[in-house]
Amino acid sequence: MNQDLTRLAFGALRSQPLRSGLTALGICIGIAAVVLLTAIGQGLRQFVLAEFTQFGTHLIAVNPGRNVTFGLSGALIHTLRPLTLDDAQALQRLSQVRAVVPVVQGNAEIEAASRSRRAMVIGVGSRMPEAWSMTVASGRFLPGGDLRSTTAQAVLGATLRRELFGSTNPLGRRIRIGGAPFRVVGVMAAKGRFLGFDLDDTVYVPAARALALFNREGLMEIDVLYAPEAGSEAVAGRIRRLLAARHGDEDFTVTTQDKMLATLDDILGILTAAVGALGGISLLVGAVGILTIMTIGVRERRTEIGLLRALGARTGQILRLFLTEAVLLSALGGAAGLVLGAGGAWLLQALVPALPVRVDWRFVLLAEALAAFIGLAAGLEPARRAARLDPVEALRAE
Amino acid sequence: MRPADLASLAGGSLRGHPTRSLLTLLAMAIGVASVIVLSGLTEGARDYVRRQFLSLGTHLLIVLPGRNETHGGPPPLLGSTPEPLTLDDALALTRLAPVRRVAPVVVGNVPVRHGGLEREVTVVGSTAAFLPVRRLRLAQGRFLPPGDAHRARPVGVLGARLRRELFGPGEALGTWLRVQDRRFRVIGVLADTGQALGLDLGDMLVVPVASAQQLFDTDSLFRILVEARDAESVEPAREAVLRTLRRRHDGREDVTVVTQGAMLAAFDRILRALSLAVAGVAAISLVVAGVLTMNVMLVSVAQRTAEIGLLKAVGAADRQVLALILAESASLSGLGALLGLTLAAGVIALERRLFPAFPLAFEPWAVGFATGAALLTGIAFSLLPARRAARLDPVAALAGHA
Repeated sequence: MNQDLTRLAFGALRSQPLRSGLTALGICIGIAAVVLLTAIGQGLRQFVLAEFTQFGTHLIAVNPGRNVTFGLSGALIHTLRPLTLDDAQALQRLSQVRAVVPVVQGNAEIEAASRSRRAMVIGVGSRMPEAWSMTVASGRFLPGGDLRSTTAQAVLGATLRRELFGSTNPLGRRIRIGGAPFRVVGVMAAKGRFLGFDLDDTVYVPAARALALFNREGLMEIDVLYAPEAGSEAVAGRIRRLLAARHGDEDFTVTTQDKMLATLDDILGILTAAVGALGGISLLVGAVGILTIMTIGVRERRTEIGLLRALGARTGQILRLFLTEAVLLSALGGAAGLVLGAGGAWLLQALVPALPVRVDWRFVLLAEALAAFIGLAAGLEPARRAARLDPVEALRAE
Repeated sequence: MRPADLASLAGGSLRGHPTRSLLTLLAMAIGVASVIVLSGLTEGARDYVRRQFLSLGTHLLIVLPGRNETHGGPPPLLGSTPEPLTLDDALALTRLAPVRRVAPVVVGNVPVRHGGLEREVTVVGSTAAFLPVRRLRLAQGRFLPPGDAHRARPVGVLGARLRRELFGPGEALGTWLRVQDRRFRVIGVLADTGQALGLDLGDMLVVPVASAQQLFDTDSLFRILVEARDAESVEPAREAVLRTLRRRHDGREDVTVVTQGAMLAAFDRILRALSLAVAGVAAISLVVAGVLTMNVMLVSVAQRTAEIGLLKAVGAADRQVLALILAESASLSGLGALLGLTLAAGVIALERRLFPAFPLAFEPWAVGFATGAALLTGIAFSLLPARRAARLDPVAALAGHA
């Protein structure tokens, strides 16, 4: 009987090809919109996450100040409870801590022999390349050992090197940063842009030097790289206890990278779902389309229904027949929409490679299931109307 | 055929199939309403941001220490610089012609104590000009006294929230607060203005700039807020500020001046693009509604073959039949758009009553766009059924062999 049902429903759809095609097209457009929009949303989500994870994922950031003010952490404004290089030094001794990088950031005039340029100055420790997943292109990074080292050495970012030295070799050359003399010992490999910042228009100097340069007593941040097998919360807890003991109070903020990423991921996921829902409005309109066309179909096929009933078809069978038709319409339309949406996503990727697109098959399956459900819901009322027809009345109608 | 006849014929055939017509209307209405409500949402967000900026004053310039060479890069909002802005820099700016007021700002996080209560708050060091420049209002007492900015005085003005947290219902004016190892007397309380662009102004303590510099042991400033005389003098003020500071800093251009207008324009562009994109996505549903209209019109033409044949037999031209079918679909989409407008107006009115702080905008361009798109898709998608009707052979149609 199920096979017969499908064959009968298919036959009915095929007898009105243009009408069935247009009804399915409505659902098709809706599903294609949902698939394409969620593909763009997912692509953006992965793009943003990749932007953030390019600095490594096993990081914990410690900032001075208990709360965040003016949308900025306490590091950027004055605080009476600074984080010091001694704090950073102490964190190095915690178990499962791989590397500790003190961070001081600022902006100063950098002068080479003939040219000068204003750029970002970042005071860091010798383990920065490991912690931030960066590589040295030539020369070497700042020397290791004591975090409090004030050696006057500097490592250039790729953009800054190009601007100051052009194609000549900068290694061993002398530069002045904010008036103070430094020697260039290395050049970093290009890292690109991050949220609009050119990360390569930068010079890296020892943190203690940067503190003196900017006349600061506190660090802006301490980044802690922990062993991958250690839990971020366990390490964060140890950091909290150690610093609270050193300061006598919890006057700092500890942020774990994986927690921040999870929050970010949640937000972007919700955004993707919202964008998908926007496309879902078209599905709603498509559902109204199925409802309309099925209503018309039931009215037109009164004789056929009456005949079926007179031949002994039960109301349940008639109901199932029309429901099958509605579900077939929307499922076929949905399948076409999937192809259209995925094809559109592929085309978009090919035409605009900068726009990240990624078809998420979970959303695709959800959309297809939704299409079938829409057919079921929209077909219910017309199917019930058909099933309730009185056979004698229906046959007499013609 | 006269237009009135056309309309009555079209209306009559729509009324002949009320369920079908109503459902098609509903589909159009959903599309139109979603375009209007969704663009109202993003336009409402745009208005909200604009209002927030305007509440900070329209002629505001912000001077930041440091500058980045990279073109198109963001201003150096973060970080320090070896050549800080000083209080004398700020005072030099007050003498410029296009400048009305100057408020130097030093900011820090400090625990503030009163009685047994302690709270970590933002301490802002500034001058009497801070109140008008940031468009703040006083609830009680008075603001920082005017006079020599270099003079430290042990007085402070509380934000509304800080006052509540530290004093509850008690009297705050005239009491002494302990900030680190210093004492400040409360001379005023700010009115509650809520959040402005995410900055909670209620949880702060405003003290004279010299006192804040002593507290934080610094001689530099975090920002200088400059209010230009009027909208026209914003650009001259920007140039004058840069010129003056370059002269004072031995010819180095080591500051960044951000104008309120530039920031507002950046946000405005982003949100406008967003609202167009959202309206565009919602308009996809109008295309779906157009497909449905086409389908219904096809059914209608097929069912009325005999009627159309009769019309043509009594002398109706092809163009008149075409016009009849198009009039029918145009009235379907037009009425649908009208229904959608009513629906959208209802939703927006309801939302405005429920959330008066964030009202949705009822945008004329969105209304025009949605109505236009509805009519256009309705008519465009009916061209095929209408032409099919117009080309019917009257003899075959009347005989029922079309």
